[in-house]
Amino acid sequence: MQHGFANAMRRARVLGLAGLLLGALPLSAQTLAPAPASPATREVVDEAGRTVRVPLLPSRIVSLAPSLTETLYALGVQDRLVGDTDYCDFPPDAQKKQKVGGIINPNLEEIAALHPDLVLVTKEINRLETVRALDALGIPAYATHSRNIDDILSTTQKLADLLGVTETGKSLTADLRARLAALHARLELLPPSRVLFVVWTRPLISVGKNTFIADALRKADAASIVDATQDWPQMNLEEVVRLQPDYLVFTASHAESASRDFESLAVLPGWKLLDAVRNRRFAVISDAVNRPAPRIVSAIEELARQLHPAAFQERPVPEEPAVPAPVQANPPAAAPAHIAFNAQPFGEELACAR
Amino acid sequence: MSSALRHPLPGDTSRATTDVRLSVEQVSYAYAPNPSQAPLFTLEAMSFQAKPGELVAILGPNASGKSTLLKLISGALHPLSGRIFLNGFETHSLPVKTRAQRIALVQQESRLLFPSHAWEFVMQGRHAYGGGLRFESQEDILIAKNALAQVGAAELADRWMDKISGGEKQRIILARALAQQPLLLLLDEPTLHLDIGAQVDLLESLRRLAAQNRYTVVVVTHELNLAGEYADQVVLLQRGKCLRVGPPATVLQREILEQVFQAPLSVEMTPSGRPRVTLFSNK
Amino acid sequence: MRPLTLTRLLIRCGILALILFAVVVVAMKLGAVQVSLYGLGKDLLSVLLHRTTNLSSDYGMIVLGIRLPRILLAVFVGASLSVAGVSFQALLRNPLADPYVLGISSGAALGAIVALIVEARLDLTPEMAGLITPVGAFLGAALTIAAVYVLGRRDGQIDSTTLLLGGIITASFLQAVIMFLMTTLSGNNLRGSAFWFMGDLSTPQPRSLLYFLSFGFILAAGAIYTTASDLNLLLAGEKEAMHLGVDVPRVRIVVYIAASILTGLAVSVSGTIGYVGLLVPHVMRLIFGSDHRMLIPASALGGAIALVIADTLARTVTSPTDLPVGAMTALAGAPLFIYLLRRRMA
Repeated sequence: MQHGFANAMRRARVLGLAGLLLGALPLSAQTLAPAPASPATREVVDEAGRTVRVPLLPSRIVSLAPSLTETLYALGVQDRLVGDTDYCDFPPDAQKKQKVGGIINPNLEEIAALHPDLVLVTKEINRLETVRALDALGIPAYATHSRNIDDILSTTQKLADLLGVTETGKSLTADLRARLAALHARLELLPPSRVLFVVWTRPLISVGKNTFIADALRKADAASIVDATQDWPQMNLEEVVRLQPDYLVFTASHAESASRDFESLAVLPGWKLLDAVRNRRFAVISDAVNRPAPRIVSAIEELARQLHPAAFQERPVPEEPAVPAPVQANPPAAAPAHIAFNAQPFGEELACAR
Repeated sequence: MSSALRHPLPGDTSRATTDVRLSVEQVSYAYAPNPSQAPLFTLEAMSFQAKPGELVAILGPNASGKSTLLKLISGALHPLSGRIFLNGFETHSLPVKTRAQRIALVQQESRLLFPSHAWEFVMQGRHAYGGGLRFESQEDILIAKNALAQVGAAELADRWMDKISGGEKQRIILARALAQQPLLLLLDEPTLHLDIGAQVDLLESLRRLAAQNRYTVVVVTHELNLAGEYADQVVLLQRGKCLRVGPPATVLQREILEQVFQAPLSVEMTPSGRPRVTLFSNK
Repeated sequence: MRPLTLTRLLIRCGILALILFAVVVVAMKLGAVQVSLYGLGKDLLSVLLHRTTNLSSDYGMIVLGIRLPRILLAVFVGASLSVAGVSFQALLRNPLADPYVLGISSGAALGAIVALIVEARLDLTPEMAGLITPVGAFLGAALTIAAVYVLGRRDGQIDSTTLLLGGIITASFLQAVIMFLMTTLSGNNLRGSAFWFMGDLSTPQPRSLLYFLSFGFILAAGAIYTTASDLNLLLAGEKEAMHLGVDVPRVRIVVYIAASILTGLAVSVSGTIGYVGLLVPHVMRLIFGSDHRMLIPASALGGAIALVIADTLARTVTSPTDLPVGAMTALAGAPLFIYLLRRRMA
């Protein structure tokens, strides 16, 4: 008995010492940032309906979603971004920020060590447990929720308001809206292209009609043939063949891998039955379409250019619809679709932010 | 010594009834769980022979090597030295199927995983007589029925194995061994879970079968009186050593038995010339 | 006393084959696309007789090009998993054994994930790119088979208990590696692989692969069937089996390798579909008894029937979307398992 107790005490002491040493390491590895100068706060209601007390001017922001990181850069507040996730890769500068882990499993200690005064999360891909844990640590967490393109724009504006750059936000969203309107004008009279948006091929997974991706497709005058309410439905190939989409839409970070994917599909027995596969009618857009951020508008434009090339002439957008020729549902079958994929970064809208 | 024994050629059956069928020659064995360690248990070199129609009892206390000796005879183990011949063939070198046609082993049954009928069980004894994918022939069915009849279990044929008594199960297991139509019938402590009446029944049957079908029967047991009453030959083992081989009257004698079994006893001869052992209490 | 005869075996298998045929015909009729069987029958006939290459019925192409290959894949996978299940239950002397208990499915899954990760970096022709996942999965399965074999030996031979333990440990280890790798996969890859682990028959496979699968099935299942009588005895007890004339080490190796190959092939093309390999043998045992000469072909046919039904449900219940077929087998399988368990208790 005596031995047992003495041993336990010794063990506890060793563990305690080890714990102190280990605990001190991350702190000593970081330069301790000064606490926020202004304790002034206000209450806001975030897009998940939660009431959060946030600083008037958040200056140390951690983003837990790639789309939010992109939006922050688009709003020009990247200097106030002190940490983001491993998956925040756009723009390239975001990769240099301090990483705090994954999206569903961020490292709370890393976040806390950065002394943020605001953490941004999305309702779609982040977890409620993360938000609760941040609440328990006393770190304010603001959640966004974007179900469609309009939501994305209004979220961008709300974030701008939250971060004290309202005017920047207004000009950014105005510009985005103008581009969408211009696009709409070009495409208005054209019947929508029927497309299948391919998330994954083995098995075949597409997007549901209530996702923002489906809305993005609609803005590019493309109608997804998938009528499911699930977000990521697994599609029956027979049904796809029966519906015969005009185009298959892929996302890729490189054009080569996309066309490789496509070629490997084209040799499979079932897929060959699709006219779109036989006539090589596929469109490739950047994976910006997967993120509810301002850059999605570029992806929409890109998609529109590939699906409806006739609508895009050299001259600027006129007041009346620009397509004079007989309206064709698809380009003639003889001419394979041109993969209008440019490898340049989609950075046009950043110019406005400066 | 070995050169004096004759090894009949395979087709030579004319002198089968008087020839030696089973010949154990200077057989020893050592068991080591780890090849680099010294052996844990050894069976020292020993020899004996048995003829067709004979019933041999291997007798001894626990851990005397009885089961090891039986496994060596059955071909499951390879002797460290010496050889074992069955009708001139070394048992260990026979292919598995041929061995199963010549030697049948009756031992305590493993747990049955999936239920089966008694007749299915007995039919397993015919496996050694078929090719890769065989279906039982009429002949096989007859032999199996016959085997059941010989052990007095004909009416049990359609019963489920897990629904019959221990003694009945023992008979079915014996019937399966008989269905193999062996030359050599080996039994490992068959009387362990049987009551006295059943024990006597079993040994009677074995003696009868040995005579009828010209089997050589080898029974491992520690029951002194059963060995004394029914065996034609007794092999007495103690701690891996063979102490004595011979007819029961010469092996079951008081001094040597007291030394082996460490218990006071007395031996009498019955009118039929068989020894009967009586145990006393220690005090 | 009624031993199994060849005639009885053929009659029973014939009945099962008829049931399978009927199920296949119904499965061809059902689906996202409505099909008239009469029109389809005419089409099939004309294709068989090489009279035409164009099919008269509107959706005949869909049915022949997509639905029929999928049904045939279900037949192959169902038969393979069931025969593997029967074999492992005999080999391991354990009624709870299924084809995945020795870690083969985890090895295949790991191989598939590695193939996914590697594919992006390699420059492959389209045909190769289509094959890389099944090939990777099969390689993973093969390596696992070898590793578990080495682990499962005792005194140089396969030992049932050691094999089972070795397999379970290997499966756990591989699962851990898989989980670790999955954290490195990005969103889309992750979603795709999750569906794969639930079992999926919806991906059309290259024709060459299908021929290879059938060939492999015939070889492996045939090899197992030659040991059918031996397996009957093996189940009575390993020591007894040897004394009854069974070459136990040889039978163990043949069954182990052949059953593992069957599992590896099935998992490589369809992911991990559960319950089929476990339950179909038990149901067939209830109907036909434990004689493996009947049980093995019965399980093959029964497994094919079960999986075709499950897959047909998976692609029609929530049309036009697909459910993972593994979900259907689990939904039906779990209650059935409970029922079988209670029967044994009673």
